[in-house]
Amino acid sequence: MEFIFYFGDVFTPVNFGLLLLGTIGGLILGATPGLSPTMAVALLIPFTFQLEAAQGLILLGAAYTSTVAGGAVSAILLKIPGAPANIATTLDGHTMAQKGEGAKALQLSFLSSAVGGIFGVLLLIFLTPVLAKWALAFGPSHLFWLAILGVTVIGSLDSRSVVKGLLSGCIGLWLATIGFDDIMGAQRFIFHPALGGGINIIAALIGLFAIPQVITMFAKGRHNDGAEVIQVRKHPIGAALSELMRNKRAMGIGTITGSIIGLIPGVGGQIAGLVAYDQSRKFSPERAKFGTGHPEGLVAAESANNAMVGPSLVPLLTLSIPGSPTAAVLLGGLLIHGIFPGTDLFDNHPDVAWTFINSMLIGQVLMCLFGLYVAGVAARVAQVPQSVMAAVVLGLAVFGSYSVQSSMGDVYVMAALGVMMYFLERFGFSAAPLVLGLILGPIAEANFIQGSMIANATDGMTPYFLGGSLNLFLIAVVIASIAYSAYMELRSRRFTSKEEIMA
Amino acid sequence: MKNLLAGAAIALIGLTTSAFADGHANYPERPIMMMVSYGAGGATDFQARIVTMTAGNEDALGMPIAILNKPGAGGRVGWNWLAGQAEADGYTLGAYNVPHFIAQSIKGGVEYSADSFEPIANWGADPAVLVVGADSEFNTLQDVVDFARANPGKLTTSGAGLFVGHHIAALQMEKAGDMKMAYIPTKGGGAAAMKAVIAGEVMAGINNLSDAFRAREAGNVKILAVADLERNDFLPDVPTMMESGLDVDNASVNFRGVMVPKGTPQGIIDKLAATVPTMFENKRVAGKMKAGGSPMHIMTRDEVLAMWAKREETLKVLLAGL
Amino acid sequence: MSDISLPRMQHIIGSGVVAVVGIWVAVVSYTQQPSEAFLFPRLIATVFVVLALWTFAKACLGWTKVGNGLSVRQFRNLAPGLIVALIYVFWAAKGLGFYSATAIAFFILLSLYDPAPHTAFRSWLKRVIITACFMAVMYGLFASLLKVYTPREIFF
Repeated sequence: MEFIFYFGDVFTPVNFGLLLLGTIGGLILGATPGLSPTMAVALLIPFTFQLEAAQGLILLGAAYTSTVAGGAVSAILLKIPGAPANIATTLDGHTMAQKGEGAKALQLSFLSSAVGGIFGVLLLIFLTPVLAKWALAFGPSHLFWLAILGVTVIGSLDSRSVVKGLLSGCIGLWLATIGFDDIMGAQRFIFHPALGGGINIIAALIGLFAIPQVITMFAKGRHNDGAEVIQVRKHPIGAALSELMRNKRAMGIGTITGSIIGLIPGVGGQIAGLVAYDQSRKFSPERAKFGTGHPEGLVAAESANNAMVGPSLVPLLTLSIPGSPTAAVLLGGLLIHGIFPGTDLFDNHPDVAWTFINSMLIGQVLMCLFGLYVAGVAARVAQVPQSVMAAVVLGLAVFGSYSVQSSMGDVYVMAALGVMMYFLERFGFSAAPLVLGLILGPIAEANFIQGSMIANATDGMTPYFLGGSLNLFLIAVVIASIAYSAYMELRSRRFTSKEEIMA
Repeated sequence: MKNLLAGAAIALIGLTTSAFADGHANYPERPIMMMVSYGAGGATDFQARIVTMTAGNEDALGMPIAILNKPGAGGRVGWNWLAGQAEADGYTLGAYNVPHFIAQSIKGGVEYSADSFEPIANWGADPAVLVVGADSEFNTLQDVVDFARANPGKLTTSGAGLFVGHHIAALQMEKAGDMKMAYIPTKGGGAAAMKAVIAGEVMAGINNLSDAFRAREAGNVKILAVADLERNDFLPDVPTMMESGLDVDNASVNFRGVMVPKGTPQGIIDKLAATVPTMFENKRVAGKMKAGGSPMHIMTRDEVLAMWAKREETLKVLLAGL
Repeated sequence: MSDISLPRMQHIIGSGVVAVVGIWVAVVSYTQQPSEAFLFPRLIATVFVVLALWTFAKACLGWTKVGNGLSVRQFRNLAPGLIVALIYVFWAAKGLGFYSATAIAFFILLSLYDPAPHTAFRSWLKRVIITACFMAVMYGLFASLLKVYTPREIFF
């Protein structure tokens, strides 16, 4: 209960001002294509040089929280996921915006972000010691199985054909191997100098999602435009709240999945949204509606990716191990003031620790309020004529992918992948499984190689990868996931063939 | 219209050439970029941000330095980019890590060598240390050596990657102790390697002194030895490997500093070489570095050139058999 | 007949290209050294090739169920925009400088796809204004706020 004593510190004028600044700035940065939360936080580091420790962390914490939520804005309105966390948001969120329900989508995304986010921070406050043990329990073999669990989701994610879904996943897994192999340092598939650094995930995301969108708008032609002016429906916040209440299951699944996955160092944030989306679809009676602008999918994805924020800081704050790139940048923000995370932080600088954590709690609320305020206005983006929209998204895609690493190569990769994806989509492939492959490939590979090195030096492969209760549990979940997908596939096949006969 | 554009283009080219002609007296005229070949938040990135924070001051360069991260494959991605694709116009600097990039260039498969870059100045020296988990049964370096000798290839030891300082230290330990360890390179740098030690996934680890110091403060690890010639100010109680009877010198010490790609105008190199070391000596920089647990070691361009040459010689011998 | 065979032909070409890429990946990963570094790519490539050939066979037999292909009209519509976009990304952005290339590409795309009549002065004025507004926002966001140093070759 110690944290309550430090709530006052959050509301001193300077601190609260910084909190507001971080939140609003974070939303803007998060909504900018190409700026992932990690980069946004790294951009703010120089400012914290001038501030006191607690103040600097308030700024960074608020920015972290709201960039994650801000990524949903461009994901919903422009179909450009700002970070891997927002991929699942595009699936239903953008479809809603296209139907004129952009305001509703944004409101739901901010509300569920806040619910998930607050839950995550509360976990951080109350259960840190327990969670820290959890975070350490995941070794290479467990991370490998976790990545495989992600791979089993590939076939069923946003694709009507399992084979093509898997094939998209394979393309993604292959794309991930391009560049230097991380452990051996060998060069793989570098057939153009732009690929020397491998495929940057942010640039790839922009290309795979935004560019097909641009080309689709081109394909509609010049005169088709006036025919379909989208009516942007206003949506009262009260209605959004009751909609959220109707989606308790998705919210619960999202929040819990996000919190658990967020905790695992090195995996967390990137796949929390996708896994939650997939899980809530499997448990939903209306699973056929997913991907067609169904609020449930949006709520699950957004509550998950903000729920991961709090737990993702557990390994950092307790063990001084940054579990994610963003946590690593936050570590810098602490070290610069001579504060070492771990016992030093909580024993000798409780004011810094708790002010920081409390400000993330308040930051979630501020982020939500501010987001709800702009949702109505922002949703009007859907009314922008197609011709303007196509040019705007193209321009943003180029600038966004360039600014990731100030690299022209990333822009070429972005455009090449994007054009390729447009044509692949014409033939029934889809971007989401491809991206999942791109994210999971390196995790699976690095952990397998590292695990097999440890295994060869110790007990051997079989006991290392197949022994231990956590391994067995994860393997059981993998098998269950495959069995469930196969069952659903067979059932829907029987269903569609019946339908075909009827027709 | 066409003539107008062409005229404007010629005027612009004229402007740039005149800027080159005046011996770079006005350098720098715009913000400078410094490439760090490790991810944001890593030890190199963190220190690079601190030592360049005063670059905008009038007594330093007068223009800020922005950090650009190009992480991947133990630094190879970033250094390849700096050697091959970066513009040698003085506005693109790079951070170096010795022995990492020299060892990688000796090993091959990259497009750079020590001759691809011109050093400017060195800011830090971070020795490799041997760490074990807080509840490990190893208490001295001798315990570790005894175990490794009795169980060849069984001592799992994590480090940040292949052919980085940690790996060099492991190779030197094996050679000096006539033993075989199982070196486990991790993806995700020193932080991931440290996590493997704390979580007990590996029996020991080689890590940066700065990160290990912090982990020890948090009560998670024991530091058994430093791979340097002298004990470190941060860890006066930890013996060097030589003191503990293992003939390992300072070849694995991670020197961090600033360099530029070959082809950068000599005038700019001279100007940077004169200004950058004094910029590192700034009191605020030193204070922040000390607070963060990062050992500083400032060297001028000539000293760095000598250090690079010496390292290259040592590493060629060490890596010859691999 | 023609409206049935066009998508089928496209499916054969599309999945054929994917299959060729898959075979290339497999060949590269089974021949390159060091083999430890290519262990994982080999695994992926094997699955990749099997799935790609399966899809290709299905396309040849006309069993493809999903994906509508591309109609001639759609292709005619998208071709000019795609060409402008490709020139912009792969040459102009670096060759002319980011901001000028973006302004030019933006304006051309707007003129190509904006339904307002090309004969009226007002619609041209509108396009110029929209382009100027967009460039102002981009400059404010990326150059002023984020301090991204974009290539400035011949022009800004």
